[in-house]
Amino acid sequence: MIKFSDVNKWYGTHHVLQNINLEVAKGEVVVVCGPSGSGKSTLIRCVNGLEKFQAGMLTVEGMPVASEANLRKLRMELGFVFQQFNLYPHKTALENVTLAPIHVRKLSAKEAASRGREILAKVGLADKCDAYPQQLSGGQQQRVAIARSLCMQPKVMLFDEPTSALDPEMINEVLDVMVALAKDGMTMIVVTHEMGFARKVADRVAFIDKGVMVEVAKPEAFFTAPANERTREFLGKILHH
Amino acid sequence: MAMDMFLDQLHGMAQYYPVVLKGVGVTLALSFIGIAAGTVAGFVLGIGRASSSRALSFLVGAYTDIFRGTPVLVQVFVVFFVLPEAGIELDSFTAGAIALSNLAACFISEIVAAGIRAVPAGQLEAAASSGLSRFQQLRLVVLPQATRMIVPSLVGQYVLLVKDSSVVSAIGLLDLTRSGWVIVQSVPNGLLVFSAVGLGYFLICYPLLYWSRRLEKT
Amino acid sequence: MLSNLNFRVIAETLPDFWGGLVFTLSISLAAFAGALAIGVVACAMSLQSSRVVRAPAVAYVDVVRATPLLAQLYFLYFGLPNFGVLMPEIMIGIVALSINSGAYVSEIIRSGIHSIPRGQMEASASSGMSYWQQMRLIILPQALRPMVSPLIGQAIVLVKDSSLLSLISVLELTRVGQTLANDRFMPVEGLASTAACYLLIYYGLKLAAAAWVRLAQRPGRC
Repeated sequence: MIKFSDVNKWYGTHHVLQNINLEVAKGEVVVVCGPSGSGKSTLIRCVNGLEKFQAGMLTVEGMPVASEANLRKLRMELGFVFQQFNLYPHKTALENVTLAPIHVRKLSAKEAASRGREILAKVGLADKCDAYPQQLSGGQQQRVAIARSLCMQPKVMLFDEPTSALDPEMINEVLDVMVALAKDGMTMIVVTHEMGFARKVADRVAFIDKGVMVEVAKPEAFFTAPANERTREFLGKILHH
Repeated sequence: MAMDMFLDQLHGMAQYYPVVLKGVGVTLALSFIGIAAGTVAGFVLGIGRASSSRALSFLVGAYTDIFRGTPVLVQVFVVFFVLPEAGIELDSFTAGAIALSNLAACFISEIVAAGIRAVPAGQLEAAASSGLSRFQQLRLVVLPQATRMIVPSLVGQYVLLVKDSSVVSAIGLLDLTRSGWVIVQSVPNGLLVFSAVGLGYFLICYPLLYWSRRLEKT
Repeated sequence: MLSNLNFRVIAETLPDFWGGLVFTLSISLAAFAGALAIGVVACAMSLQSSRVVRAPAVAYVDVVRATPLLAQLYFLYFGLPNFGVLMPEIMIGIVALSINSGAYVSEIIRSGIHSIPRGQMEASASSGMSYWQQMRLIILPQALRPMVSPLIGQAIVLVKDSSLLSLISVLELTRVGQTLANDRFMPVEGLASTAACYLLIYYGLKLAAAAWVRLAQRPGRC
């Protein structure tokens, strides 16, 4: 479904992504992890065109992401969840969720609202439809953000460190939503440090360091017997808590 | 004796109330037109100024710089005296309205551009990521937030516009300031006459000023 | 229209415009100095705890900011003779400009002082300094920095405001332009040259402001 072929990106002279090759099949959940500055955020942001790359090829369902003409159409099928939520502060939760369906998918206000309420209920926020983002906790805001992406009925959901900006006690409410999504068969790419989540639902785990895709393996293999030294080092650092 | 003269002058001034009324009317009309037209045009220019196209931003900036860097008086003269050379004859009211609207638009464009730039980048990214077009991103996500932020500055700008409208008296238009000038020719008490004129402007501007300051505190 | 500009006339009148420009700058400089003096006093008064001292300063600022400069100018021009005060027009003009800008300068100084975090006053008070020592040694030196850009902005406004003096027959830049425009029936050349001169001053002051911003990035001495 999503295919990186020898993707390379430079910021000036800094080689941020080096010959990235990765394929994500329909229904797969791929977790991408790595130290900060490794390029994992850049990688996922390339998928929906928030970052551009200079060399290589990146396609979603065969359509190249690099072409501007395709971008809007592609983005309709790619849901993106940000670390900082980026909810629209001047709109209620429901309005946040229905904005794109109304203006991009051209749903009627009624249809969008009913779909929106359904999805907000699915993420556990049925009673918060008319609340403004400022009135919600971090965990609730992120769940609204997930609902916002889901309401567009995307084919793929992209998560860029969705729980990194949350207080510890709120991480699980968001992860639970993501686990449910995975179990429903959604194709997902998740950049995260939450290894428990990876062990539970990931089909594969990818480790990226300094722009290089070091290792990609199934979770059991990845966590118990990593092939690469750098992977072992990284896991050693983050797994002992 | 001085009291008699003072009362005489007050009486003399009171005779002129039609003139003052007309003057106030013209000042208010010019201010409304300048504020309305200036705000609409200012938003259009401001969006251009905040554009990612460097060429567009530069062009708009160069245009607004001309009117932000020259005196209002000169601009009013240009509209009133120079446009006829190009075949456009204008009466003093229209000339004043055009000059003031243009001036307001130029200042407001900078305020709007700053507001747009102040909307966090994440908002644009979220909007773009859901497939909204650039125009939709602007209309639904960026402008509402930018406008909320700049309201105090806009109101401050409106106060300036009301005061700037006084320069139309230089092309003979009977606004509040000019009415004072006319009256003082017959009632030679500058202090009295222009205190009254000042009071008129104060009554219009002070509420706006007060409102702008309150808005800034929130 | 622009292509028909009579450059010969512009070249001939260049000395007059230069004179006007210099005169405008001199007037503006004098008025700015006056505005600084008035602004400092007004601001100091507005910061006092005594209502009796604060009220006139606050009233002054409010009245000046809510009335047009032209009305203030006419107020003095037509009003002062009533009190037997006879001043040359240029003096009246400079006084009017000073009083007008003084109100804005006062607000700029106030913002500058208020921008210094409370903690500074608390820290200096804790070491036993008196109010005036705190102001003189800790607050004011720091407050100076954020004031410079707005003050340059006010200087720009002042230069543009000085054009109003043309209406009371002061031979500054706008008046020069108008006279030449009327005398020779060439409003385009006259006003274009006038505008160009003002833009020269405008960009000059903007450059100064930009230079200040770069200078102010360096940490350390205020």
